[in-house]
Amino acid sequence: MAAPVHDTGLSVANDAEGNSKRHLPGDANVWLFVIGDMVIFSCYFTAYLFDRGHSHELFLQSQQHLSQNVGVINTLILLTSSLFVALSIQAARAGDLGSASRFLTLGFACGVGFVLIKSYEWFLELSSGWTISSNAFFMHYYMMTSLHFFHVLLGLVILTMLRRELRRMASPRLQFLQIGATYWHMVDFLWIIIFALAYLMR
Amino acid sequence: MPHMLTTGAAGSAPTGENPRAKRANVDELICWWSIPIFYQIFALVFGYLTKIMRPPIPGPTLAQDGIIAFTLGNATHMQVGTVLLGIFLGFASMGTGVIVVQMRRMSISSVLPYGYLACGAAAALPGCYFCALLFSVAAFRPDRDPHLIALLYDAGFAGFIGCLGCFATQYVVFAVAIFLDRNRIFPKWLGYMTIWNFVTELVAAPVWIFKRGPYAWNGLLSFYLGVVIFVVWIVCVIIYLKKAISNQPLGEVEPA
Amino acid sequence: MNLSDQRICLWLVPVFGVLLVAAFCIAGFIPPPAPTLTAQEVANFYRDHIAQIRAGMIAVNLCGIMFIPFFMVIVVQMQRMANPSRAFAYAYLSAAASAGSIFLLADLAWSIAAFRPERDPQLIMLMNDLAWMSFVSPVGFIMAQNFVLALGIYMDVRQNPVFARWVGHFNILTALLMMPGAFALKFRAGPLAWDGSLAFGLHFGTFGVYIAVMFFVVRSALARQAHEEGHQAREQGAEACPTC
Repeated sequence: MAAPVHDTGLSVANDAEGNSKRHLPGDANVWLFVIGDMVIFSCYFTAYLFDRGHSHELFLQSQQHLSQNVGVINTLILLTSSLFVALSIQAARAGDLGSASRFLTLGFACGVGFVLIKSYEWFLELSSGWTISSNAFFMHYYMMTSLHFFHVLLGLVILTMLRRELRRMASPRLQFLQIGATYWHMVDFLWIIIFALAYLMR
Repeated sequence: MPHMLTTGAAGSAPTGENPRAKRANVDELICWWSIPIFYQIFALVFGYLTKIMRPPIPGPTLAQDGIIAFTLGNATHMQVGTVLLGIFLGFASMGTGVIVVQMRRMSISSVLPYGYLACGAAAALPGCYFCALLFSVAAFRPDRDPHLIALLYDAGFAGFIGCLGCFATQYVVFAVAIFLDRNRIFPKWLGYMTIWNFVTELVAAPVWIFKRGPYAWNGLLSFYLGVVIFVVWIVCVIIYLKKAISNQPLGEVEPA
Repeated sequence: MNLSDQRICLWLVPVFGVLLVAAFCIAGFIPPPAPTLTAQEVANFYRDHIAQIRAGMIAVNLCGIMFIPFFMVIVVQMQRMANPSRAFAYAYLSAAASAGSIFLLADLAWSIAAFRPERDPQLIMLMNDLAWMSFVSPVGFIMAQNFVLALGIYMDVRQNPVFARWVGHFNILTALLMMPGAFALKFRAGPLAWDGSLAFGLHFGTFGVYIAVMFFVVRSALARQAHEEGHQAREQGAEACPTC
């Protein structure tokens, strides 16, 4: 193959399938992405906390309009889906592709569940008249949860690609699976922080 | 459909010679140089002259006097800045050209490079020139009705920071191309960084709603964080584009 | 290779070029209404010429982008050049597309100004200002086009270059001559105003001459391409059947 292979500066030796021989699960690149994404999200969280410090009463009052129960359900759903994805990777590593695929499907289903419940929660809040321009709390709430929602949708696309990888290929690329799983765990982790900030701290 | 890169005699000119072999990629280097030069001019125009890139505080809620001071008080600088932009903005297309050449070297079809080109071409007016133009229109006649100047002020800023679509699409196209590329033209982490840039476009969306706070067009998140991420990204692109050009084998022929 | 598509795109230039100039003349925009007119005078101008302006601007709307196929012929010719890569050709394409969209902005602004002549004269003047400034000022795109074309020509190492070297010099010269247009943003009177001898007269006069000259240049380049490829076809035919 005449295509040039460029050194990305990671000194990664790749075997024929491109699987990294490094011990870090997944890819150093995706960890960079995860850390960078979390740094960016932390800017939003900082802005939220800053505004919250300024208008403590307003935030406390507004938070009462969020359903803590729905928040808890969503958190449990995402945690479960992360568990399924982790089990899927474990099964894939052990060579049990059938179980891996099934676990991935379950994880995907949980993700869809989150999307549906979140959408319904937004619908209820919007119907009660709480829009993004209602006050500072709801501005932050809708912005953070929308950004997270977009990450979840992207995560669902990635999970689909992982499932295709498992089903189609005779020997699926473990590195690719791990990259996808890392991203999904990050999405879960971000939700936990949002849950704590918006639903719990009141 | 992925294609192989070839070097040498394949695809030589109809006269039978192979003039492409063993020539340095001078044209790509010229185009590459245009990128940092263009962004220096861009910084001069938007940062120092027109003062658009450090939006006035408080921004959307600036009082009428403040708006007049910004547009008319700054008129000469504003106009000089837009004159410069009018002359030099076209040269941003050279940067687009060399990036498209590198994207075509990737193991992907031509769809994504052409998409990148089209988005870049489409972005020039709404995403860059329109803002400076509107402010120049505002600065053109000191005796204009202040309400119209306020309209132009809003239109200029909101339109500039809030121009989301062409850049968002361009970033997505670029990132997907990097991820799918097996020829490793650009490092994968640059693809992830491009996704962050795309996210900043999402975060800039609320500038059309909020007039104060972090999500207004002068806000910490919608403006400043976006600018910081963009600057880091473009510096990385400039560096790794140069590397890609240097690593390109001489005489490599672009697939048809 | 059949060059009919390129020839059709080439001939769009004289047809629609004439139409465009006629449209601007009918609308009363040649010579342009001065920037020094008051709002009421501008409103009067639109009111008195309303039918002509609308007709002219609709024609410009339809015909204005008809130069793009011609610019694309130049892009295709640039890809035939023996440059190290196609970077210049892509840059040309991008600049041409951007220029087209900005040109259309001017047309839309004129059309909006002419939509309700009974509107507040300040608003009509605003649209008129926006139209003229976006028509005359963004010279950078055509300058960049000419610049990369010239560079491509200089770097074309073919035995029979696609374009002669003087075409490169011509492109750079015309780019510099069109540059004064950018200053129309600043001046309300004088040679650099949007109706001035430099920003308007020299700028668009040069553009007209440029398009006319490039029409003939591209036409002869196409003739050379046909000749070369006819040659090549005959050679390949001879190789395939040496005894024929």
